[in-house]
Amino acid sequence: MSRNYRERLDNVLRAVQKPGRYCGGEYGQTLKDKEKVKARFAFCFPDSYEIGMSNLGIRILYGVLNREDDIWCERAYAPWPDMEEMMKKYDIPLTAAESGDPLSEFDIIGFTLQYEMCYTNVLNMLKLSGLPLRAEDRGDDMPIVIGGGPCSYNAEPVADFFDCFSIGEGEEALVEFTKLYIKMKEEGRYTKKDFLLEAAKTIGGIYVPSFYDVTYNENGTIKAYTPIYDDIPKKITKRIMKDMDKSYFPDKLVMPYIETVQDRIMLEVYRGCIRGCRFCQAGIIYRPVREKTPAVLCRQAKCLYENTGYDEISLSSLSISDYSQIQDLTTKLLEWTNENKVSLSLPSLRVDSFTKELMDKIATVRSSSLTFAPEAGTQRLRDVINKNVFEDDLMRAVNVAFDAGKTQVKLYFMNGLPTETSEDLEGIAKLATNVVNEYYRNPNRRKGKSPQVTISVACFVPKPFTPFQWETQDTLEEFEEKIEYLGDCVTDRKVRYTHHDPRTSRIEAVLARGDRRLGKALEIACEEGFRFDAWEEYFDYDKWISVIEKAGLDASFYANRRRDDDEIFPWDIIDCGVTKEFLMRERNNAYLGKTTPSCREKCSACGANTLGGERSCCPQK
Amino acid sequence: MLSPKMISDENPQNIRIKFRKVGMLRYISHLDLQRTFAKVIVRSGIPAWYTKGFNPHAKLVFALPLSIGTQSECELLDIRLSRYMSCDEVKERLNSVLTDELSVIDVYEPESKFQDIGYAKYEINIVTNGASDDMADNIRALFSKKPILMFKHTKSGEKEIDIAPLIDTLNVSYDGECDLIRLSATLSATSENYLSPEMLITAMKDSLEILSTDIMSENYTIMRTALYLADGKTEFK
Repeated sequence: MSRNYRERLDNVLRAVQKPGRYCGGEYGQTLKDKEKVKARFAFCFPDSYEIGMSNLGIRILYGVLNREDDIWCERAYAPWPDMEEMMKKYDIPLTAAESGDPLSEFDIIGFTLQYEMCYTNVLNMLKLSGLPLRAEDRGDDMPIVIGGGPCSYNAEPVADFFDCFSIGEGEEALVEFTKLYIKMKEEGRYTKKDFLLEAAKTIGGIYVPSFYDVTYNENGTIKAYTPIYDDIPKKITKRIMKDMDKSYFPDKLVMPYIETVQDRIMLEVYRGCIRGCRFCQAGIIYRPVREKTPAVLCRQAKCLYENTGYDEISLSSLSISDYSQIQDLTTKLLEWTNENKVSLSLPSLRVDSFTKELMDKIATVRSSSLTFAPEAGTQRLRDVINKNVFEDDLMRAVNVAFDAGKTQVKLYFMNGLPTETSEDLEGIAKLATNVVNEYYRNPNRRKGKSPQVTISVACFVPKPFTPFQWETQDTLEEFEEKIEYLGDCVTDRKVRYTHHDPRTSRIEAVLARGDRRLGKALEIACEEGFRFDAWEEYFDYDKWISVIEKAGLDASFYANRRRDDDEIFPWDIIDCGVTKEFLMRERNNAYLGKTTPSCREKCSACGANTLGGERSCCPQK
Repeated sequence: MLSPKMISDENPQNIRIKFRKVGMLRYISHLDLQRTFAKVIVRSGIPAWYTKGFNPHAKLVFALPLSIGTQSECELLDIRLSRYMSCDEVKERLNSVLTDELSVIDVYEPESKFQDIGYAKYEINIVTNGASDDMADNIRALFSKKPILMFKHTKSGEKEIDIAPLIDTLNVSYDGECDLIRLSATLSATSENYLSPEMLITAMKDSLEILSTDIMSENYTIMRTALYLADGKTEFK
């Protein structure tokens, strides 16, 4: 066998699909002299290269860390199963893209946790790095493993495997954390425990799960989280960047050679969301709203265009048409994008703020389809979830699209929402048919072309830090019945019906509101070779249920249990700024079918304004 | 040839870029390379000429697509400029936004058309069990017989072809110091008769059981090193 793992890696690339995932050498990557830096940080995305390279958070944090002379941040992704097989066969460890060095040689390994179904990839990546899975089994000479991203707001199912989590926005926290590591190493007083204790005490947003004892009630719910040290926070408050205009934004990008999911400039326009849809976790945990100004955005976009050569800029935010200066921004951007053959795209459109003016400004040539998310089929249920969108809005929006020659419309819905009845499901089919009819009524429609309305129906997953966090998820049987029922309701041949796999949504629900005891199930899952569970072809429901049972747990305890009003949640240890009282108020309003105005119309006192933030629409605290 | 002042959007200037694609970038496909160059052109700031269609893009014409796994020191790409820029500056600007594994060797005004490419030269290094002077002799014998019939995948299915006439020159040696079999081959590279160097590998695998075991102990590299006109010896420019 060849002398070293690098040569072996080189040899196997000829035998794997898409070797471009592993070859590195991208323009725009940061290379440093490893002898001269004081801390090496491996930023890991626990999914394929194509997905990981598309993540805006990594693009930002990679730049933030590498701006520091004494820190070198590199990237690592989950190897696709064919590559993993080769790595096991030929004893090739998981390596970082830039240096090609094994992850086990790094000082800090960071994982971004974007969705629950990637947890098995996190564990598998640790395994492929030759590191013990459990934090307690990793000694002072091994890398510190830190997690972040949306799932870290309830990371309890993976708490046993992480030394700590960075809660909230990481631009400042990760640098402070790494600098503290360097300082303690230099002063010769580094032990993993001392370092984590110091970090927990002095750096905001750092959550060290092993410093909190968890006790349970007889019925399996949480009794208490007790800090084992007096001087660490009782609740970990998330970090935010207060002024987005002054917050770091990358001026260059690592340029993938192979096509990635978001192979374009993603311009982050603002953080947070003014809406407050009651099923949506992102709409709560990223509060408060903090906007950038159009002048700053234009400068950032132009700089990225010049340094990347991308011909597409996606205006990225939770609900882009809610940006208070969207017209001004798009007008300013178009002043130079048209001339340079750069197109603008908007990933998320709300039907109530989608106008012809906006439509004319975005990429119109390339795609014949537009996507909207009414989420529910009747006004009653849309009021329950606080979507604040009316059928008239949708009809107006699709007419704008049809006027412009579009023939395809995609509509996103959810089934299994709280209070849902068969009428709501029928409403989905009716709404789709109404869109088809609207097409034929439109005199400006593209002649000689049939419309196609695709309805894509996801299964509702109750998430932590949402007004629906107390709710039960439908059982698998209920989901399957509803999916079939809705299928029967769709009789229009111009309507295409697709739906998510409820089995995946059920496991997602278990992990989303899970507690630390699920760590055992994940450990068994890793031993049994689970990975890429976000990918249909690798997800095996029966095996998931079996590992949950092997850990002595019951999936329905997590997925199908309505929580008591005063239940202590595993994620109560985290303070995301929005209060539990607000979430409960919103839940009660949901049952009353009462909507809540957007933050811009009226403050609903969610509590996030206590975190501060410039150019938000919050009243001062 | 156009004088600098005459070059314009209506009257663009053709220039030829000779570049290398080596190291790990041999695993990047031709399609991905095309997409990469579209962005490289933009970030270099050279005044590329854009097509006038519905979806304007810089006009890029590559000489001979390279198959995945093959490196090259002589790739050619033609682009058009809508205003004058010296070849030296084009080269410098491109290299400032490229990496060592994908870098520009030369920029010049084309002397011939890509259709005039007759042959391409390849250096093939093989690490294989039983590499020896004898094996080199056997390889030489394999490629000197006529005909050399091989199956080729085409759009219309498997087709049997004789590759012997497509091999212009082929030198084989055994490098005892590195324990390598070295092949230096000049192969037909016209659009009608393009012989991939991978075909030589396949022929050796089939007839001589070379490279027949594990990928860790046996492997090979291929480097395209030169392009020639139809005479097989004048460098294509």
